[in-house]
Amino acid sequence: MENLKKTVLYDEHVRLGGKMVDFGGYNMPVNYSDGIVSEHLAARRSAGLFDISHMGRFVVYGPQAAEFLQHVLTNNVNALDVGESQYTLVPTETGGALDDAYLYRFFEDNYLLVVNAANAEKDIAYLSDVIGGFDARLEDRSEEIGMISIQGPESKGILLSLADSPILTEPLRNALNVVMLNGVEVWVAKTGYTGEAIGYELFMNAEDTPPMWRELVERGAKPVGLGARDTLRLEAGLPLYGHELGMDADGKEIPVYAIPMAKFAVSFAETKGDFVGRAALSRQHEAFERIFTRHFDDISDLPRMVKPFAMLGKGIPRAGCRITRNGDDIGFVTSGSMVPYYKTAGAGLATEFTDEVDRRFIGLALVSSDLLPDDRIEIDIRGRAEGGVIVEWHLRSDAPPYSRAIIYGKDKDVEEVDISADYKSKALNLIREGISNHLWRQTECINLIPSEQSHSRASSLLSILDPSFRYAEHKKMKSFYDFDVFYYHGTKFIHRVEQLLSEEMKKYFGCGEAEIRATSGQMANTAVFSALMDFKNRADRKTEAARLGYVLNNHIIRGGHLSAQPMGALHDYIAVDPLTEKPALVNFPVCADNPYKVDIEETAKLIEQYRPELIILGKSMVLHKEPVSEVRRIVDELDVETVIMYDMAHVLGLTGKYFQEPFAEGAEIVTGSTHKTFFGTQRGVIASNYKEGETKYDLWEAIENRVFPGSVSNHHLGTLVGLLMATYEMNCFKDEYQKNVIENAKSFAKALADAGLDVAGDPAISYTETHQVIVRVGYSAGAEIAEKLEENNIIVNYQATPDEEGFTASGALRLGVSEMTRFGFGKDEFGQAAKLIADLLLRGKDIAAEVAALRSGFTDMKYCFNDDEAVHEIDRLADVLA
Amino acid sequence: MAKVLDELYYTEDHEWLRVDGNVGFVGITDFAQGHLGDIAYIELPDAGSRFAAGEVFGVVESIKTASDLLMPVSGTVAEKNDSAEQSPEKVNADAYDSWLIKIELEDMGELDKLLRADAYTELTKE
Repeated sequence: MENLKKTVLYDEHVRLGGKMVDFGGYNMPVNYSDGIVSEHLAARRSAGLFDISHMGRFVVYGPQAAEFLQHVLTNNVNALDVGESQYTLVPTETGGALDDAYLYRFFEDNYLLVVNAANAEKDIAYLSDVIGGFDARLEDRSEEIGMISIQGPESKGILLSLADSPILTEPLRNALNVVMLNGVEVWVAKTGYTGEAIGYELFMNAEDTPPMWRELVERGAKPVGLGARDTLRLEAGLPLYGHELGMDADGKEIPVYAIPMAKFAVSFAETKGDFVGRAALSRQHEAFERIFTRHFDDISDLPRMVKPFAMLGKGIPRAGCRITRNGDDIGFVTSGSMVPYYKTAGAGLATEFTDEVDRRFIGLALVSSDLLPDDRIEIDIRGRAEGGVIVEWHLRSDAPPYSRAIIYGKDKDVEEVDISADYKSKALNLIREGISNHLWRQTECINLIPSEQSHSRASSLLSILDPSFRYAEHKKMKSFYDFDVFYYHGTKFIHRVEQLLSEEMKKYFGCGEAEIRATSGQMANTAVFSALMDFKNRADRKTEAARLGYVLNNHIIRGGHLSAQPMGALHDYIAVDPLTEKPALVNFPVCADNPYKVDIEETAKLIEQYRPELIILGKSMVLHKEPVSEVRRIVDELDVETVIMYDMAHVLGLTGKYFQEPFAEGAEIVTGSTHKTFFGTQRGVIASNYKEGETKYDLWEAIENRVFPGSVSNHHLGTLVGLLMATYEMNCFKDEYQKNVIENAKSFAKALADAGLDVAGDPAISYTETHQVIVRVGYSAGAEIAEKLEENNIIVNYQATPDEEGFTASGALRLGVSEMTRFGFGKDEFGQAAKLIADLLLRGKDIAAEVAALRSGFTDMKYCFNDDEAVHEIDRLADVLA
Repeated sequence: MAKVLDELYYTEDHEWLRVDGNVGFVGITDFAQGHLGDIAYIELPDAGSRFAAGEVFGVVESIKTASDLLMPVSGTVAEKNDSAEQSPEKVNADAYDSWLIKIELEDMGELDKLLRADAYTELTKE
């Protein structure tokens, strides 16, 4: 033990009762006094603290640093922006791994490569040799830089309590940042080796490391030794060099593609050139693709892969235990252990951890590549063939802030539904429940969901008139000078309605074209993206159509809507950038002091750098006007050939002098859903100011074509009639309505802040310029609080703020005033609502009855036709339908 | 400092034996549980199995390592402690309270070959 190296935290480990062992030549704690089980559980439930200063830290810099790294690593270094990191491997020429590593790009001009302690000497010898062929340098900085990892749901709060800024990193895995923590500069990486949804690795000067460690322990992070580090990474399915990578139990090199992460960590991008091991890895990749698509006939380049398995029989599967299937040898265990977990109670979002600990026996195995989840295997434990089963995963981290054990054999929690054959009673019950839900939402609830709006009585009734079950497909034909030709008869009424609606929409937006057949805002966007791609490729119909790129949009974590993301409507229309191998997307940068506001100066730089083909403005979490005129000015000054589109979904009903006039400000296309701030019904709309004769009018015609026949055949004729009524109402009453909505939002925000709640946004403008108000309620508390509000008749939706990891980690509520404004709420009523919300959130008071009482005085809709004459006609409508 | 009880017999492999007439209870010592760390798995023989002194009668595994359980004296298993098998953390909590097997001794003379508390304390001095 005396010859072993010590990390800068050695004295801390001894002081904390660490059981010290030799690990990679370092004297390291296998566990502290409470033991592996409690350390494992702490990382999953609260926060675990790890000394990882034993790992190798190399800095690579110089003019050809990236070229060198592209050559000696498997991943695509070009995909790393400053502030990003990636998992990567140091490949051998034969497609195995010399080591696995993490590459961090904290700064523009250098890269930090972190490697395994046991391989560090071997790695540096190899890398130093190869770097000679490049104009780049490599320095071993392992001694000067200390490294601590803090992992678990509470890690973020603990670090923030020591930080001088409200944000550590972007809430994305692999994000990096340089932050002052506890008074010293720390390079913070949102990375880890535990599978935790929330976790950070911290780099700092070696001498700053022990005080930082002590401070983190003081603030509740539990020291975790190598034992639990191993069970945590095993449960997460992460490979350990020497087990899942390197040489296998039979003395053969394990192919890199045997580990699941290879899919993300190996790149064949053109810019990588002929990197080490490329040919062998490429053969493995081909075999991997066959295996992935379940073609197992020619997989000799990848006969075995690492798969997680759970024990069904007795015993702990240890590394090296042979595995058979129906008696045939198919591989062996690479890692296995008993792993503890907290049992849970409840289902879905209401799932809670209990204090009861259970244990399970799980492992990773290098086994025949044709094994599938649920396949049974036998594991040889001390000469006995014990049963096991291949599973998909042992742990999931997709519901932050917790990572959750996935237990084999646990059934999905199914809500009971009546599947009996008693159809009449079910039918009557449906009616009764429908009535009761309607009355509850319309007379007792204060609805503050900003994306919703009740319809007027006239609009509702018109939506279920006869056309609601008809077809009315139609298309402009050049032979008839663009006259609309209908495919069905009996459609004269709906034809008239569509013409009127189109004209009213043009009037509303102040533009020349409106397409009203899309049945949702998402569909409207899909049609526009499809049309843009069609327009882009209009000169060549014989080769594969090129996708869109670059596209500039709002990132989803900064309020961007799904319908403008690659995971949403952009999915099939956005190109992959061959340089980064990621969607050809750039995001609007936001102001450092206000994450809800676009930073115009930085936007100009991005537009100049990327010259995007499409710019999509618009958000679903929106407190400010979108910078339409600023973007127009930048685009015109830089002479960028692009399309400026404003997805106004949330703010469609605010179009006008109190908010924004998109076409006057320079937008070319406006899309939106017609039922958020607009008066309903639930549909989509596309508008444009392209004029006949100009080049981009072809784009407009493509848009019409991608709506019909591209997206709809039947376009929900009933709601189209209702929408015409709603648009009459909007065009008639918008002046008063829009003014009141924005005033109400500002006064509601102020009232909430005065009542002691944490309102996001700029107090100088009363927090908001839209119908929305964002209230922060505490990290990951959003869902629970929204549920509590619903129990008290206030309907809101929980929302992740720009520094949170996703909807399960939401720490905010998104409130909108448009619907209640329409029911007549003014400053006083929103003031009362704010007080009630504060009573519930801050004082735990039951407010259900008071909310219902407040609402009951505001059930008559305003901003619609409700004089005697109108009511008489609407009553007739109701009679006809009765 | 690991606990050692005066009234027990010990093996050099860290099993303890409590003798009551010709009946014995076998467990692992506090020193052993401390060195193993969190015990994850215990496998014990069924009643009726016979083992000679020094034979492997079962296994105790921690997360990091597996250890054979050796019979301190020759005998036949009368009962195994299901509760220790099902909740091995009980052995961590109190190694002397959680016996593993109850045996019928064959030869009381074998007791002379086992260590008493003083000698075992000396053996496990760190």
